[in-house]
Amino acid sequence: MSATLPRELTLFRLKRSVILGIKSLWMHKLRSLLTALGIVFGVASVISMLAIGEGASYEAQQQIKELGSQNIILESVKPTNTTTAGEQERSLILEYGLTYRDIAQIQATVPGVTVTVPTREIKDFLWGGPNSVDGVAIGTVAWFPTMKNRDIVRGRYFNEIEMKDRSPVCVLTESLSRKLFPLKDPIGQTVRMQTSYFRVVGVIEDDPAVAAASEDLKGSSESGEGMEMMIPISTLEDHFGEVLFKYRSGSFEAEKVELHEVTARIDDPDRVMPAALAIQHILERNHKEVDYKMTVPLDLLRRAERTKQIFNIVLGSIAAISLLVGGIGIMNIMLATVTERTREIGIRRALGAKKKDIVFQFLIETVILSGAGGVLGVALGLGVPLMVSYFAGMVTIIQFWAPTLAFGISVTIGILFGIYPAFRAADMNPVEALRHE
Amino acid sequence: MLESGSTVKLRSRADQNADPVIELRGVEKHYLMGDFLVKALKGIDLKIFPGDYISILGPSGCGKSTMLNILGCLDQPTVGEYFLDGVDVAQLTDDDLSSVRGKKLGFIFQSYNLIQQLSVVENIEVPLYYQGVHEDESRVIAVELAKKVGLGKRLDHKPTELSGGQQQRVAIARALSNDPSVILADEATGNLDSKSGSDILQIFDDLNAEGKTLIMITHDEEMAKRTPRVIRLKDGEIGYDTYLHGDK
Repeated sequence: MSATLPRELTLFRLKRSVILGIKSLWMHKLRSLLTALGIVFGVASVISMLAIGEGASYEAQQQIKELGSQNIILESVKPTNTTTAGEQERSLILEYGLTYRDIAQIQATVPGVTVTVPTREIKDFLWGGPNSVDGVAIGTVAWFPTMKNRDIVRGRYFNEIEMKDRSPVCVLTESLSRKLFPLKDPIGQTVRMQTSYFRVVGVIEDDPAVAAASEDLKGSSESGEGMEMMIPISTLEDHFGEVLFKYRSGSFEAEKVELHEVTARIDDPDRVMPAALAIQHILERNHKEVDYKMTVPLDLLRRAERTKQIFNIVLGSIAAISLLVGGIGIMNIMLATVTERTREIGIRRALGAKKKDIVFQFLIETVILSGAGGVLGVALGLGVPLMVSYFAGMVTIIQFWAPTLAFGISVTIGILFGIYPAFRAADMNPVEALRHE
Repeated sequence: MLESGSTVKLRSRADQNADPVIELRGVEKHYLMGDFLVKALKGIDLKIFPGDYISILGPSGCGKSTMLNILGCLDQPTVGEYFLDGVDVAQLTDDDLSSVRGKKLGFIFQSYNLIQQLSVVENIEVPLYYQGVHEDESRVIAVELAKKVGLGKRLDHKPTELSGGQQQRVAIARALSNDPSVILADEATGNLDSKSGSDILQIFDDLNAEGKTLIMITHDEEMAKRTPRVIRLKDGEIGYDTYLHGDK
């Protein structure tokens, strides 16, 4: 017949083969759909699991980063093994936790420690005029906001002079200020705790972790979470003494805790882990019992990253298995199709089709099937994380490579699992194929 | 054209002085059935000339199907030579055999053998597609052939929407699409009622009148009376080969 350019020829053949493939698959719509479903769910699960996993680990990392990646956080913890003794001698004062001596030693001996923020807390009712709330007075230092990455919303934070002078000044968190002074400007007002009065000099933003938690509970911050009043640690000591008395539900408890929390900042991220080890040693030496807890955000971050890797491997294996199952489903159906269309293969061979034409035809069909499954799977896989974010309020992150990769894998699976049925079709004896009923 | 009717014999248009389209020399085909060697064809010598209109007759089991498969290049002889347009097809590879089938042969089967998912035109286009003829060109040829066999108004119908006679006419158009040297018809009217059957045979007569070479394989003696040349196969050998109404 006529001479055509070979390149054009292949393009035209490809187009015709794709149209033919779609027609053949369309003849068995339900069967094709069900076969493709295996791939659809495989691809969708890959994308949505990755998105949910990525979102969860992002959230975790974000929370850890808020703690400050160069910080080491020490907290006082009531020792567990003394509670039995404490029950018998309830009137005795329970003494535990971090001490000024610990800080002094850490600052003096651990290399790279630049700033430490000691805090001490007292929980009681806070009064602002006629309003009161169950809150907490936190005794801390002037550089607390910089260390904790928290912004001053109004006024100012107390300074080092006020610390030295043991001035009765305080800074309220946003939610506390709203509670105590709903209509007034809080600056210049006084807040009372027990018998002490403090002048408000500024308002600081809420602790991001607490804010996130209360947002989940839709603003039910009645529990006292986030109701914090920051005062100089020296002032706190002056007004409330060293021993804390608690009168709760009829019982009486006395505790002596020098410091509730200490945050140490290390100047170089590379020195965080050695510093943490050194601090651990100092505390082990100073404390007979484990009445403290050390949190290293950087360590948590690394652990979170490692967890994420493991998570990804697990998800990857599940996804691989589901895609494999989908691929086997495709192969199964293609083998059935080849048997069913034996006569068609015979006719085509009689009419001049070469073996490779038959291979190509069936391979194209498998790729269309798996490719269409891949496209539907990507659509579903992009939709599911959106639904999860909307209904469950979880953060989901779809990385651009995830749908691409999933689609690529589905097409590859189509080719891999299509090869055997296609060659089986092509290797049929034309005479026998034509006689096939 | 002569009046149609099974008793009317046509004058052969074969040009016996020309080079034969098909020449078989000592063709044998052996099969292994279990432990037995079965000789389906035992030394066939045959020349078919351009314009020949032949019936190959014989009871079942005489080697008719084997003969068709070999003539149709679907199978290769065990022994012997087969020249199709001067080319020895007994020596060709599988791919080359496919090309030969696609270029030089047209098949018409008893059960029509149309591809179910394709329309009338698309079915006619199949041989052209495998020859690499471009879509635009093959569409023109296919439409023309569909009109020629009287299916100009059913171009986009699927085979399942057609009667048996119509399907067989699609198959004829398909066999003509690549302008073959030889058309092979295997019991072409076997599945049809007598009216549709005689319509199909009329088309064959017309095609031969246009100079096409046709080989019909049949067991129907009445049909064989229509063709100027009749070949009888008996136990894998040519029992009888004559021009019934030939003038040469």
